[in-house]
This record gives sequence, structure tokens and C-alpha cells, in this order.
Amino acid sequence: MSDRQNTIALLSKDDSTMSQMMQAIEELEQGGFDRRISIGLSSSVTVDLLGLYLRKHALMAGSRVDIVPGNYDDPIGDIDLFMSSGVEHMVLVPFFDNLLPSFEAQLETLPQEAIDAKEAELRGRYRIVFEKARSMNTLYLALFHRFGRTTETAGNDRVVAVLARYNVALREEAAAFSNIRIIDSEEIVRTVGQGAAFDMRFYFLNKAPYTRTFMNEFARRLSAAARNFGAHFYKVLVLDCDNTLWGGVIGEDLLKGVRLGPYDYPGNVFWRMQHEIAALERNGVLLCLCTKNNPEDVEEVLRDHPDMVLRNEQIVAKKVNWVDKPSNLRELADELNVGIDSFVFMDDSAFECEAVRQQLPMVKTVQVPSNLSDYPRVMQGVKELFLAGGISEESRSKTEQYRQRANAKESMVQFASHDEYLASLGIEVGLTRNSAGSVARISELSMKSNQFNLTTKRYSLAEIERMMQVPDHAVYSLVVSDKFGSAGLTGVVVMRYEGAVAFVENFLMSCRVIGRGVEFAIWKRIFADAMQRKCYEVRAEYIPTQKNAQVADFYDRLGMAFSIETDGAVRQYSQSAHTFVAPETPWITINYAE
Amino acid sequence: MLNENVLKQVMATLLKVDAESIGPESSMDNIPNWDSLRHMNLVLALEEEFGVTIPDEDAGNITSYKLIKLVLDDLLNAKG
Repeated sequence: MSDRQNTIALLSKDDSTMSQMMQAIEELEQGGFDRRISIGLSSSVTVDLLGLYLRKHALMAGSRVDIVPGNYDDPIGDIDLFMSSGVEHMVLVPFFDNLLPSFEAQLETLPQEAIDAKEAELRGRYRIVFEKARSMNTLYLALFHRFGRTTETAGNDRVVAVLARYNVALREEAAAFSNIRIIDSEEIVRTVGQGAAFDMRFYFLNKAPYTRTFMNEFARRLSAAARNFGAHFYKVLVLDCDNTLWGGVIGEDLLKGVRLGPYDYPGNVFWRMQHEIAALERNGVLLCLCTKNNPEDVEEVLRDHPDMVLRNEQIVAKKVNWVDKPSNLRELADELNVGIDSFVFMDDSAFECEAVRQQLPMVKTVQVPSNLSDYPRVMQGVKELFLAGGISEESRSKTEQYRQRANAKESMVQFASHDEYLASLGIEVGLTRNSAGSVARISELSMKSNQFNLTTKRYSLAEIERMMQVPDHAVYSLVVSDKFGSAGLTGVVVMRYEGAVAFVENFLMSCRVIGRGVEFAIWKRIFADAMQRKCYEVRAEYIPTQKNAQVADFYDRLGMAFSIETDGAVRQYSQSAHTFVAPETPWITINYAE
Repeated sequence: MLNENVLKQVMATLLKVDAESIGPESSMDNIPNWDSLRHMNLVLALEEEFGVTIPDEDAGNITSYKLIKLVLDDLLNAKG
């Protein structure tokens, strides 16, 4: 094996350690790739490990994925970010327990109106998100799943009910958008097991609820749904006949001897598999037969066997002869005028499978298991190859059904614009100057905030206290709330006044509240205060760090005049307080307190 | 006994820096890549590498080489 193959083998092992895996990923990503796509991750919890596992699964499929992380719980802002970074695919992972803090625990005591209101907000918000994400090639939407366990033996507590309802809401809102692919995250939890899926410690510490095991399975499914990120588009299913479509050998057992039918083993296994194959055909998969038999024998089964599910009209091409299978497959590819790498080949014979694998490695070869009870599982894998990223018959009709229901509900919750949606939230900002009771929280926030932090100056408790007391400084803090509750103290502005100039020493916010315009709404008041102190010019600067690129152009967006970029890419701004006009945020009510 | 070379290697991989640059003075303050997300993954990787479970109250706080070494030493000694 080459080094590269060794490294890929290491990746596919489930027991490689995280540091081995990261090393392997980085090593493999050094190579050249024909297929390279960017995926944006947007979530209301921390999901950065998903990025690592998506990179892993992409590499295993021969593609390279670049990850663009979004901000915390800001899907609308994330889409802007993704679009400006050239992202074509995004993964959206809303988290049920985090809709409100510890939502599942709160549910039993939450009034029905609050649950209804939250659903309306959810619908409104995600409708805007989906509308905005229309330009994305694909949006993978993970549904809500339960985080805690139920103690209710009937398994039917309030969490179950609300969860089901909100998932219907997500599906309905998503139904109108053809670029959305739903990911059933409840199914991922079931697959890996509730106990192995979640990490309570990092949920409470960092809002990172998922384990590596969960993320690996999530990424594996997503990669399958994305058809290995464009690596494979399977279109053709080529089937052997004897012991693949029916039990026994038609040439020896004759029509009456082959095992096929709805009731008796093993014929019932083959009969079931034929139904699965027929369903694939209905969804556009091209079916071919390739079997070493006498043509008239096979025709007889197709025409006369009472329990055959597959008939001639479902088969687009047949190679019933004694020629080797690789040659037959090549001819089929020519006849159908499709690439041979879009073929999936199924045969019960290890010999035939090996011959095709050797000579046509680009064909996906699947051996029918000799242990027939495994056949459904193997068939499931084949179905995934074709359907994972596509539309199955079932989901098509479901989509239809959801679309009708979605239309009926449209009048209930429809916001014409993002602004209107924001207005419905009833956002209030409590802006306080020199709030003595909040010194500890202000200092803490200044120590912790990295991303939305314009100068990354850190302040100790004593410094904050001092600045609140001296006349040439002011410390503004803001508390954001909406109709669902308060997000607490989540923003700080530190001002210094010198002669006729007011300096913004720092401005920082918690990522929790970004994307609602709060960052713009507070400045009118701060500028007015400056003028009252006869400071007619306001200066501010952005000092870049490794982590705060998202606010590099914040003061430009705020409407301040850029003056100069100095050493270390520090951007300085200077703005006349008289002519300053902040961006409009009519949906926000500011309550000011001294 | 804690193998410090392994520790340095894990930290280097997770924090995307050279193993040689990691030493007793390394901390979240002087390694720019060491943010809260990478820290979380670092804790997971350390637990896995050394076969220990880092208690909740330490997990968020071991933000320097010295503190990590201290906590790992304790856990490994306790394991015997």
C-alpha cells in the first residue's frame, strides 16, 4: 500500500485517536484534488467537530472539503458570510434544548402560549433563512432531536409532543425549497445510542453537546446524502439473476424450482429485495441484467413466473450470455451511453465480483451475502448509493403533502422581510452607563469575548470600577431581551473623553446576540452623550487579532468615516458627531438608564 | 508517569503549532490558536491519549502547559 492509502486506512479506522485523525487529515489535504467544495456550518450550538469529520469523510471519498464556520446562533448572518466566502453547501443544525436555555427542562412548566409563540418565531425565522439560502446549492437541515431522556414510560411526555410539532414546522417550512435536504438527527442518535451521542460536560461548559461518535455518524450520513461530495453519481444498477433476484439456478431448478414468493423462506427474501429494486426503478434508476444463463430461461422467468416483481418493462438492457461480466458491463455502458463509473453491480458470486473489482474498479461492486438475512442490510446500502442525496418516491409525496399544509399555514406566520420578523421579536436593549452592579460581569465579558471584540483590550474588575468613577471615562453595558426572555448582559462599550474628542476604547459583544442589529442601535445614544460632553469628534479603531476578523469592517458598516490604516492593519476611524447617522434599526427599543 | 513528549505532540497537533515551540511557559495567552473551541478538542484528545477522565471543574481551566501537566500527573498517579 502507498503512504496515501495507509493514511486513508487510518482515517477509516474507528479507533484512531483524535490527534492521529487530525494529522492524517492534514497530511491528506496536502495532496491535489479534482473535487473541492466549501461547506458552511451554522448552528445554535458548537459543532466545529462536525467540520473535522466532514473533512475526514470527504477525504475517504477522494474529495476535499473546506469548512467555513458560522457564528453562534445566527443563521441569517451566517448565510451572508457563507455567500461572501463562496460557500455553496451549508449545514444547518438547530438544537432543540437550546431554543431557550435548557428548553427540555423548562417545557413542563412553560405555558402553552409560550410554546405556540416559539413555534411561530421558529417558522418565521427559518422561512427567512431558507428564502435567503435559495442561492445555496444545497442546505442540509438537521431536524430537532431529544437531548435528555424521558422518565415517562409511555414515552409520551411534553418534550416528545413539542419536539414532534417543531419538527413538523421545520419540515413544512423547508418543503417549499428544493435545495433543502433533511437530515433526521433523531435517527443518528438512535444509531450511535443516546448515551454515546452527547457530552454533558462540554454542553454546559461550551454549548458543545455532541460527542465525536455522533459527529462521525452525522458526517458519514451527510457525506452519503451529498453523494460523497460529488464523487459518484450512480445511475445504473446491474443485476445478476440466479441467487440475486431469486433463489436457485433457473437453468437447473427450472421455473417451478426457483425460490421466489411473498411467504416462504428463502423466496420471501428475494421477493422483498425485488420490491426494493422496483422502487429504485420508479425513482429513475436504470436496471440492467447481466447473467450467465440461456436467454430463453431468463425470459421465461420474467414473463411467466407468477411472483416476479421485476418484469421486462422495468429492465432497460440485458446481457444474458456466457461472456465474462466485465466485458458485458463495458458493452452496457456503451449501449446506454453513460459512464461506467455510474454503475452499481450486484452478484452473489465472489468470483464474478472479484473479476469486476479487478478489471473495473470504478464500478461499485456489491456481493449478495450468502447469509440471506443480511441481504436487506446490504440492499439498504445499495439504496443509499442511489437515493441518499436524491428524492425518493416517499419523500416526494411527503414533500407534496407538506407543501400543501405549509401553504395553508402561510397566513398564520409570514413575514414579508427580515425586518418584519425582527420586529415581531420585540427586541429591547437596556443600555446603561456606569452600571455599578454589573462590574464583575462586564470585566468577565471583556476577558472572554474574542470574536466580536474591536480592540481586544481586557479589563480587570478594578479597572472597570475605576473607569466608571472617573469623569473622563464611561462604561456602557447592554442587556438584550426579546419576547422569549433576556439574554443577559451581552455587550460593553468603553469610552474615553479627551478635550473635544471621544475615543471608543473598546466595543465588544457576546456572540449570542449578534445579527439582530443591536450592535448598531446603541450608538445614537453614545454619540449624543459625547456631544453633551462637548466632544464633537468620535474616534474608534479596529485592532485585528487571530479571532476577530468578523468585525474588521464593523465601523464602516456603522457609518463612521475611515481615516487611516496603520501598522499591523489597525484601522482607525474618525467621525463628526453632528453628521453621524447610524443604520436604522426601527425594530429595536432602547431603554436608557444612567 | 506522564510522557511529556506525547503531551507536547498532542498539544502541537491540536493547536496547530510546532511541538518544539511547546514548553512549560506555553498557555492560552501566548498560543494564538488556542481558543475555546480548540481547547475543548484538546481536552478530548488528552483524555483519549492518556486514558483518563478530566473532571468537569478542571476541563475548562487547564489552559496552560503547567496546569495540564499538573492535572494529568495527578490523574495518572491516581490510576497507579
